[in-house]
Amino acid sequence: MTENDRHDSDGERTAPDGGTATAAQRHRETNYLEEEVNLLKPSTEFMRDHLRLIWTGFIIWAVLVFGPVTATALAPDTMTMTIPGGFPLHYFLVAIGAPAGALILSVWYARRRDALDEKYGISHGGDA
Amino acid sequence: MSLLLPMQSGLLPEGLNVSFKLIPAILVLAMLALFLVIGFVFKVADTEGMWVAGRSIGNVENGMAIGANWMSAASYLGMAALIALSGFYGLAFVVGWSTGYFILLIFMAAQMRRFGKYTAPDFVGDRYNSDTARAIAAVTTFLIGFVYAIGQARGMGLVGLYIFGDLGILGLTGYQSMVVFMMAITVGYLSISGMMGATKNMAVQYVILIVAFLAGLYVVGYANGYSTVLPHIEYGEMFSVLSSEFSEPFVHQSYYLWIATAFSLVVGTCGLPHVLVRFYTVDSERTARWSTVWGLGFICLLYLSSPAFAAFGTDLYANQIGDVYGDPGMTSAAGDVIVVLAAQLSNLPTWFVGLVAAGGIAAAIATIAGLFIAGSSAISHDIYANIINPDATQRQQVLVGRLSIVALGVITTLAALNPAAPIAALVSYAFSLAGAVLFPMFFLGLWWENTNRQGALAGMTTGLIIWIIPMINEVLPTYVSSLDSTISPTLAQWVPAIGSALVAVPVVFIVTIAVSLATEEPDMETKRLVRQCHSPEPMDRMESAEEVVSTDGGEDVQGGDA
Repeated sequence: MTENDRHDSDGERTAPDGGTATAAQRHRETNYLEEEVNLLKPSTEFMRDHLRLIWTGFIIWAVLVFGPVTATALAPDTMTMTIPGGFPLHYFLVAIGAPAGALILSVWYARRRDALDEKYGISHGGDA
Repeated sequence: MSLLLPMQSGLLPEGLNVSFKLIPAILVLAMLALFLVIGFVFKVADTEGMWVAGRSIGNVENGMAIGANWMSAASYLGMAALIALSGFYGLAFVVGWSTGYFILLIFMAAQMRRFGKYTAPDFVGDRYNSDTARAIAAVTTFLIGFVYAIGQARGMGLVGLYIFGDLGILGLTGYQSMVVFMMAITVGYLSISGMMGATKNMAVQYVILIVAFLAGLYVVGYANGYSTVLPHIEYGEMFSVLSSEFSEPFVHQSYYLWIATAFSLVVGTCGLPHVLVRFYTVDSERTARWSTVWGLGFICLLYLSSPAFAAFGTDLYANQIGDVYGDPGMTSAAGDVIVVLAAQLSNLPTWFVGLVAAGGIAAAIATIAGLFIAGSSAISHDIYANIINPDATQRQQVLVGRLSIVALGVITTLAALNPAAPIAALVSYAFSLAGAVLFPMFFLGLWWENTNRQGALAGMTTGLIIWIIPMINEVLPTYVSSLDSTISPTLAQWVPAIGSALVAVPVVFIVTIAVSLATEEPDMETKRLVRQCHSPEPMDRMESAEEVVSTDGGEDVQGGDA
C-alpha cells in the first residue's frame, strides 16, 4: 500500500537544533514502560507536552460544541438575530461553525502532534 | 414476539412517487453488482484479512472508509429528515456526529492502533484480563450492530420504494418487501467478502454516496433557483421564507434534550466498535491520526450539506404538498426520504432522482457492512474462538463469522418491518449504548492504568442498565400493543432513550473509578500494556502492544519482525 500522505516529508530526520536535541536525548533515555499513565498526572516530558496539546484542543472543542447552544438558551434574542447571509446567528454557529471548527482543530492537532514527534526525534518507519 | 406482527399498514412516504422505474433500477442493480464483484475479488479466507484487512490500509483510503462506514442512511437520509422535521434540534445530530471525531482523534485513535488487536471486545477482554468483560463487550457490540442496522434497513426500504415500487412479495406491504429484498442482497454480499472486500468497497461506496448527495444538492438548489455555487452557505437566504419552526431554538425539543443528544452522539462516536476497528486496519499510528482527520473532512462534506438539503426539501414540500409543521404535517416516513423527495419535487429526470436514491442505498450498505463485520467478529472471534472453543481453526472462525452475519441480518430485517422511530432516532439508541457501555472502558482503560477488572465489570453493567431502562420506558411500548405510550414521562424527560449517555457516562465513570480504587490494582503486565499504548516509540506494522510488552520490553521495537 503506498502512503498517500502529503505530510510525509523527509524532514523528520533532519538534525535538530540545540533545544530539541535535549528533548530527544531525554526521550531516548526514558523507558516508557516504567512510567505511569494517568490522564491527570503526566509522568514523562513527552506526555506532558502531548497532554498540553490535548487539553488545549479539548477546551476549545467544548466551547465550540456546547457554547453556542448554551448561549442561545441563556440569551435567545441576541443569539437568534440575523447575520449577513440570512442565517440566524445561533443556526450558523451550530450548523456550520461546530463541524468546520472541529475539522480545523483536528488538522491543528495532527500537525502539532507531528511536530512533537519531530521535537523528540521520533520517526515512523511506516512502510518498512 | 409481537414485533413480528405488522401493526401499521406500511410506511408510505406521502408525495413520493412509488412505482417501478427501469433506469434507476438498472442503476441500483449495477451498483450492487459492482459491490459484489469488488467483494469477490478481494474475498478472504483467513481471519487477519477478514477482521483487519492485513493492517495494510493507508491514509486517504482509510479516511474514505471511515467516512463511508460512518455515513449511513442516518447521515444521508435521517439527518436531513430531523432537520426538516425538528428544526434546530436536528442540528444536535450534525454536531454530535461530526465533532465527536475530534475527541476520538485526541484521546483514542493512535492509542487504539498501538494496542492493535482485532476487535473492540478484544481490547476490553485483554485490557481487563477478563473473559466476562470480553463477553459483555461482545454482546454489546452485537446489540449495537442490531439496533443501528434497523435504521439502515428502514432507510433502504423507504428509498427502495421509489426505485422498485411495491414488490408485494410474501404478502408483505411494499415497504416491508423492500426491506426483505434489500437486506437479503446486503447480507449475501457481506458474507462473501469480509473486511478486506468491505474496506475496498467502502472507498467506492464513499465516492458514490458523496457524489450522489452533492450532485443532488447542487442540482436541486440550481433547478429551483435556491443556490448556485455554494448551496452550503446560500441557503441562509431562505430563512426568511421558511417557517419559524425550521430555525427557532427549542420549539420542538428542550435545551436539555439537545445537549443530551449531542453528548450521547459524541461519546457514542468514541465507543462504536465499527469505528474503532478502523484504527486496527491501518499501518501506523500516524496513519491512524491522519486518517481520522481525512475521515472527518470527508464527513464534513456531507454534514455541511445536509442542513441545506433539508431547507430545500422543506420549502419544496411546503409549496407542493402541504404544511410541514403542525397537524397533519410531514410524516416521519416522508421526512426520512426528504433528500429523494426534494429531487423528485424539483421535476428532475427519473434517472437523476434514482442516482440520489442509490446514494442512500450505498450509504446504508457501507454502514451495515461495518456494523455486521464488527458484530460478527464479536461473536466468532471474541465469544467463539476466545471463550467457547479456544482450539477453533481459522476455517471454523470464518464460518461462525458468516453465520452470525446471517443471524444479524435476519433479526434486523424482522425488527425493521415495523420500526419504532425515524432512522436517526433508531441509530442514536445505538450511540447511547456505545457511549454508556464501551466508551468509558476504552477511555479509562487507555488513560488510567489503575482501572481494573472489577471496576470495568461494575461500570459496564451499570452502563447497560442505564441504557436499558429508557429503552423499556420509551421504545418497547411502540412494539407491544398493550402498552400504548411512554411508561414514565418524567423518566423520559431526564433520561431520554435518545440521549441516555449524558446521565450514563458520568455515573459509569464514577462507578468504575470507585470500584477500581476499592479493589486491587491491576498487575504490572497490564500496566505495561497501557504504557506501551502511549509510548511515542514507533511500532511495527503487524505488532500489537501486547507483543511488545511480552517480548522485548518495548526498549527497542525497530527491526523486530512481524
